[in-house]
Amino acid sequence: MKIFPLSMKNLVRKPGRTTALVLLTGFLAMAVFGGSVIILSLRTGLQSLEARLGADIILVPSEAQSKVSFQNMFLQGTTGAFYMDASVTDKAMEVAGVEKAAPQTFLASLKADCCSIKIQVIGIDPSRDFTVQPWIARSLTGELGDMDVVVGCKVEAGIGEIIRIYEQRCKVAACLEPTGTGLDTAVYCNMHTMDNLLAAAEAKGVSHKISSGDDTVVSAVYIKVKDGYDIDTVNTALTGKLRKVTAVRTRSMITGVSDSLAGISRTVTMMIVVIWALAFIILLLAYILIVRERSREFAVLRLIGASRSMLSRMALLESAICGLTGGFAGSAAAAVGVFSFSALIENSLGLPYLIPGFGTILLLAAGTILLSIAVSALASAFAALRLSRVNPGTALREGN
Amino acid sequence: MLLQAENISKTFFRDSGSSNYFYAVSPLNLDIASGTLTVLMGRSGSGKTTLLNMLCGILQPTEGRVLIDETDLYSLNDAALSRLRNERTGVIPQGRSAVDTLTVLENILLPSKLYGKTVPTEKAVHWMRELEIDHLADAFPKELSGGELRRMAIIRAIVQDPDVLFADEPTGDLDDENTDRILSAFSSLARRENKAVFIVTHENDAVKYADRLFRMEKGRLEPSSPA
Amino acid sequence: MKRQVIPGCVILIIALTVSIGSVSFLGPCVHDDGSVGACHWASRSLSGLGFLALILSFLAVLLHRARFGLYLGIAGTSVLGILTPGTLISLCKMSGMHCRAVMQPAMIILFAAAGLSALFGAIVCGREKKERA
Repeated sequence: MKIFPLSMKNLVRKPGRTTALVLLTGFLAMAVFGGSVIILSLRTGLQSLEARLGADIILVPSEAQSKVSFQNMFLQGTTGAFYMDASVTDKAMEVAGVEKAAPQTFLASLKADCCSIKIQVIGIDPSRDFTVQPWIARSLTGELGDMDVVVGCKVEAGIGEIIRIYEQRCKVAACLEPTGTGLDTAVYCNMHTMDNLLAAAEAKGVSHKISSGDDTVVSAVYIKVKDGYDIDTVNTALTGKLRKVTAVRTRSMITGVSDSLAGISRTVTMMIVVIWALAFIILLLAYILIVRERSREFAVLRLIGASRSMLSRMALLESAICGLTGGFAGSAAAAVGVFSFSALIENSLGLPYLIPGFGTILLLAAGTILLSIAVSALASAFAALRLSRVNPGTALREGN
Repeated sequence: MLLQAENISKTFFRDSGSSNYFYAVSPLNLDIASGTLTVLMGRSGSGKTTLLNMLCGILQPTEGRVLIDETDLYSLNDAALSRLRNERTGVIPQGRSAVDTLTVLENILLPSKLYGKTVPTEKAVHWMRELEIDHLADAFPKELSGGELRRMAIIRAIVQDPDVLFADEPTGDLDDENTDRILSAFSSLARRENKAVFIVTHENDAVKYADRLFRMEKGRLEPSSPA
Repeated sequence: MKRQVIPGCVILIIALTVSIGSVSFLGPCVHDDGSVGACHWASRSLSGLGFLALILSFLAVLLHRARFGLYLGIAGTSVLGILTPGTLISLCKMSGMHCRAVMQPAMIILFAAAGLSALFGAIVCGREKKERA
C-alpha cells in the first residue's frame, strides 16, 4: 500500500503537532551540527597551526616573552615588535644539529588605511625562509618584489590595491589562504621592504631599534633541526651559545593549544550529549502522548483492513519525515549561525579556528540528518508498536 | 458466500464479582448467507457488539471458529486476515469512525487505497447524493454532525462492494427519514446485490426489513421471528 | 485573517531588534580615539531601515486593505538592509572587527528573515484576496 500519501496528509493537516515534533528534532540537529562544526574547526585550526609553524625551535629576544606573548601572535594575531641582532641567524647555523635557520622581522603598524587596528607586518628572507615561503608560493607566482606585500586572508585588501604602512605605499601582490591562526591578519614582505618600513617607522618616532653597530635587526629566527638530532639537545645548545635570546620549542606551543582544544571539545561534546538526551526524552514523551490522541484514528484504519505492519510503518514513516525535516532545518539554522558568526566564534575562543572544507561539512550535515531520522524513529518505536496493536472494537467504543 | 460461526464464545476476566471470568458471549452457532438481512437486537451490555466484532474478524473468540467460505479467519496471520477483511467485509462501527486528517471523500475512498483497489469516485458521489452528504465531499470530519459522520461511515463500507456488511447501531444518530433510507439501502444490497447484511441494533425500526431476527440476552443468542 | 497578521508581528520584533541593536549590542565598535569609521554610518543607516520596517509592519498589522502593499514595501526595505553593510556602505577591512564579525552577519540574517516573512505575508494576502473574489 502507498502509505506515504496518507502519512504526508497526516503531517500536513496537523500543523501544530508536526511543527512541535520538527522543532524538537531540529533543536537536536542544531546542537549536533553546530557543535561538531566548532570542534572540527578547532581541530583543523590546530593542524594548520602545526603546518604554519614549520620549525622545531624559534629564537626570540628574551624581552619578547615579557613584552608580548609570542604565542598570542600566532593564536590571536596580537601585534608585537621586538628585535635582536641579525647575526643571531649565522651564529645559530654554527650549532650542531641545526639544518636551517630563517630570520623574520616584525613590525606593528600604527594604523594602515585598510584597517582600523594595528596589523602585524612580517619581513622574510625568501631565499632562506622555509616556514612562510612555501605557503606564499601557493598564492604568489614569481618573486616577492620590493614594496610588494602578501596579505593574510582577514586583511580586506584586494590584489593590486595599495595599502599604506607608515605612509609607505605597498602593493598587494597576493592574498593568502586561510590558516585559522593569528597569521591571517598579518602582512608579509621581503627584507628590503621591511628595512624601508623600519626606517619610516623611525621617522614617525616609533623606534624599536636596539643599539648595535650593525643596523640590521631580526625579530625571530626559525630553526629546523637535522634528522637524527634531539631537539631538546639542540635547544639547550642554542640557549647556551646565544646571549639574551630565548629558544621556544614549537612543540610546547602546540601542546598548550592542543590541551585547550581538548578541554573545549570535551565541554562542547558534553553539551551535545546532554541536549541529545533531553531531546530524546521529550520526543519519547511526545510520541507516548500522541498514542492516546491517535488511538481512535489507528483503530479506524485497523477496522477497514490495515495490517499491524502497515500501521507500524506508517507511524515510523511519519516520525522519520519529521526527523528528516527537523534534521535538515536544524542543520541549516546551525550552518547559518556558525558560518555567519565564525569570526565572532574565533575571537571568543582565542584558539586557531579554521572551518573544514565543503566536502567535510556536507558529510557532517548528512550524518546529522541521518542521526535525526534515527533518533526520531527510535523515539516513536514504542508508540508505533502500541498504535499498531490497538483493538478497534475497544478503541472506537471508548469516548462515545 | 457463507459466514459460519462454529461454537464461538467470548469470556473476559473481571477483577471484581463472585467469579474471575464471565461470558460476554455464551457458546453459539450462527450462519449468515448471501442475500439475507439479519438483525440482532438486545439491550446494552447483552453482548451484541462483542459478537459482531468476533464475526467481522477484529476480536478473537475464546473458543470456536469463524469461517468465511471455509476459510478460518483466526487461523490466518494478521496480514492475510487484514487483507481478507478489507476485500470481503465492510464494517460500520458504533460511534465516530473517521480519520480527522482526511476529507469526507478521502475517508470514503480510504479502504480502497490500502491495497491499491480502484473504487470509482462516481460510485462514492452517487451514494453521497443518495444520503445527502454530497455537498460535504471536501469537508473535514470535525465539521460534520453525528448523523453526517454515520452516513459517511455507511457509504465507506458500501462502496467497497463487500460480500458481507456488518453494521453496529447504524441508525443511532439518524432522523426517521434517513433511518428508512439506510435500512432500505441495506435491504436492497441483500436482495438485489446478493450481499449478506448483519445489523446490530436496539431499535425496532430494522425489524420490518429483517429476513432473520435474533435476540441477545446476557450473552445468549435466541432466534426470534421478524413478524 | 490571522495568517495575514502573524508575519507582521514577526517582522515587528525583528525590526525592533534591528533598529535598537544596530546602534548598540549589534553595532560597530567605537575607536579608542573617539573617531568613527565607515561602519558607523552603516549602523545608522541600518537603524533607519529597521525603524522604517517597524512602522510598515505596525501598519500592516493594523490596516487590512493595505496589507499586501505594505508587505511588499517591507520586502524591498529588507533587500536594502541586506545590501547596506559591506556592499552599499563599506565596513572595516579586518574581518575580526565587530562590524564584520557581528553587525554584518546579524543584520543580513535579521533582514533576510524579515524579507521572507514579508513575502510570505504578501503571498497569503494575495491568495486570500483571490479566494474572496
